[in-house]
Amino acid sequence: MSADFIQLLVGGILLGGIYGLAAFGLSITFGVLNVLNLAHGDFLMLGSLLSYGLFVWLGINPFVAAILVIPAFMVLGVGFYLLLLKPIADKPPHQLLVASILVTLGASLFIEDITAYFWERPVTGISYTLPPMEVAGVVISSTRLLVLLFIFALACAMQLYLKKTFVGKSIRAIVQGREGAKVVGIPISRVSALAFSIGMALAASAGAFYVTLFTVTPVMGIPLTIKYLCVVVLGGLGSIVGSVFGGLILGVAETLTAYYCGAEWAPTIAFVLLILILIVRPEGLFGAKK
Amino acid sequence: MEKRFLAFCLTVALVIGFPFSAMAGPDAIHIGATVSQTGHFSSEVGPFKRLMTSWADLVNDQGGIMVEEYGKKLPVKFTIYDDKSDQATAKKYYERLATVDKVDMMLGPYSSPLTLAASTAGENHHIPFIAVCANSPKIYSRGFKWLVGVIDLGPRYTYRYWEMIKTEGKAKSVAFVVEDTIHPLGVFKGSQKLAEDAELKVLSSDIVPANTRDFTPIITKLKKESPDIVYVSSNIPFAINFMKQAKEMKLNPNEYHCIHHSGIFKDALGSAAEYVIGQSYWVEGMKLGDTQLINDVLKKADISEPRYPWSPAYVAAFQILQKAIENAGTLDKGKVVQSLKNLKMETVLGEARFAETGYGSINTYPSQIQGGVYKVIYPPDVATGKHTYPRPPWE
Repeated sequence: MSADFIQLLVGGILLGGIYGLAAFGLSITFGVLNVLNLAHGDFLMLGSLLSYGLFVWLGINPFVAAILVIPAFMVLGVGFYLLLLKPIADKPPHQLLVASILVTLGASLFIEDITAYFWERPVTGISYTLPPMEVAGVVISSTRLLVLLFIFALACAMQLYLKKTFVGKSIRAIVQGREGAKVVGIPISRVSALAFSIGMALAASAGAFYVTLFTVTPVMGIPLTIKYLCVVVLGGLGSIVGSVFGGLILGVAETLTAYYCGAEWAPTIAFVLLILILIVRPEGLFGAKK
Repeated sequence: MEKRFLAFCLTVALVIGFPFSAMAGPDAIHIGATVSQTGHFSSEVGPFKRLMTSWADLVNDQGGIMVEEYGKKLPVKFTIYDDKSDQATAKKYYERLATVDKVDMMLGPYSSPLTLAASTAGENHHIPFIAVCANSPKIYSRGFKWLVGVIDLGPRYTYRYWEMIKTEGKAKSVAFVVEDTIHPLGVFKGSQKLAEDAELKVLSSDIVPANTRDFTPIITKLKKESPDIVYVSSNIPFAINFMKQAKEMKLNPNEYHCIHHSGIFKDALGSAAEYVIGQSYWVEGMKLGDTQLINDVLKKADISEPRYPWSPAYVAAFQILQKAIENAGTLDKGKVVQSLKNLKMETVLGEARFAETGYGSINTYPSQIQGGVYKVIYPPDVATGKHTYPRPPWE
């Protein structure tokens, strides 16, 4: 393998880590609540801006900010769920899905407009970089590597949380059958609110990393959500491991496509992969067959 | 008898009053414009409504603009809408300015795509339209009679930079990274030819979708090609993302040229922005005649030039607008547009005149970020600093 190919592979994996981290929360929300949250990218954007504020005004390191934004957005997530999603939560699954798309799309547009109006800097970026590492001629971005490690740690922590704790087991029970969970006394509404707030906090945490790597604008939410939705479908709906691997696969595919076929083809590959996976394995790479 | 007397009085009043009322004329000169207060261009011109109203205040403090036909100075009044950086919205508002607000003149929106859409309102309703920051040749190839532009065509946007490179004779090769939108593409097309004229070898030209955020494949390729100059023809967010990753991946050409490298670029990149060259219409300390008006307008509007490098071009547009009305001596739109077309004047950014198709003569100067300060580096008679080439590599 040539050094260029290895460089591209490493770059693609690191890019995939960012996709995986951002798609993680979306996967949980969709898997647990059957809610397609189109405002997910906007929560990521808000997390980025909060992290930017913490860095610029209080000098807080963006990686520390990635932890600090979690409780703030969990509170926000509970409020969002109770206000906008709880009223539609008892609808039959297919109606819930459509209703959630409409509700979260409206929320997304609202968040974008409000942010664009009040946030004075329409393009935001942090001048924060870590020195890159070089291994056998291959340059590795330390920031992206940290993101990758963070997503793996987070995936492991979430798996443990879902398997070992009562709340985690409750979340899994709701995924398996809402009515059954209700019968055994699981407080559906509270657990759902918690699951949604976890998804929202993960998006905000991803945003803290995102702003160290890319520019952030108030209107970037919906395109990001669509891309991360591809990652979630690719990996398998509701599968945490799936969203990580879905992200990695997409990252590598985009990087190799851009290099060998031209940059203009890179955005297309996400949809090509999506169509392929829907034909070959509709439940996604790690999704459970229903 | 009484009726006859009343009729007489009415006739006298009409005969005497009519010319006076005609001479009294309009209460103000109504200028229409849109500003991208929201959307992706707001990073570049967001607060420019303040720029326009501040200039109007300064002019109105002097009594306004002299209009000979009415024998007096008329105040300037702006009607400004937010075009949301969107073509359709800009077009809608310029139609409104023409048909509902009935403005006397229009100042164009920011950017070529918006101007391309908006300028049809001026043409259809026969209202003089001054494009400000729009230099795509497409705009001026439609045979519009009511349109002039302040700045030179996009393909010539960086011609002074290439002149400098040719004069110095140090750089031998260049690689282009181009954002696939109208203005960066226009600049790239001209620059590619100018680079060849400057005897540089063009190693590659990558035209990349506008929303690209990951540049790993392109940077990997550029490392292999090792060009002397990496020339990024793009808007600011694209350039920031590219430069961040170039530093992360230690891409070390002798020079980076990012056509737009204003304050947001510098703030977001920090030390990675050092020694990057871009284009500026004006920087503080430039030897370019009397530029007091720039300082006055920017100060009143509370806008900083490094943060908003297009602001001086707007000040030049205000001067052009004022001079065209003064020369025409009327607000008759046909005469004003003729006055614009025949105009040849010294502005804060040098001589302004218009080609037959309408594009202007004002152009940018290459400027390099040195110690966090923008220095114009060419030509020597206006420069505020010296060109640092090659740039110190990132360790």
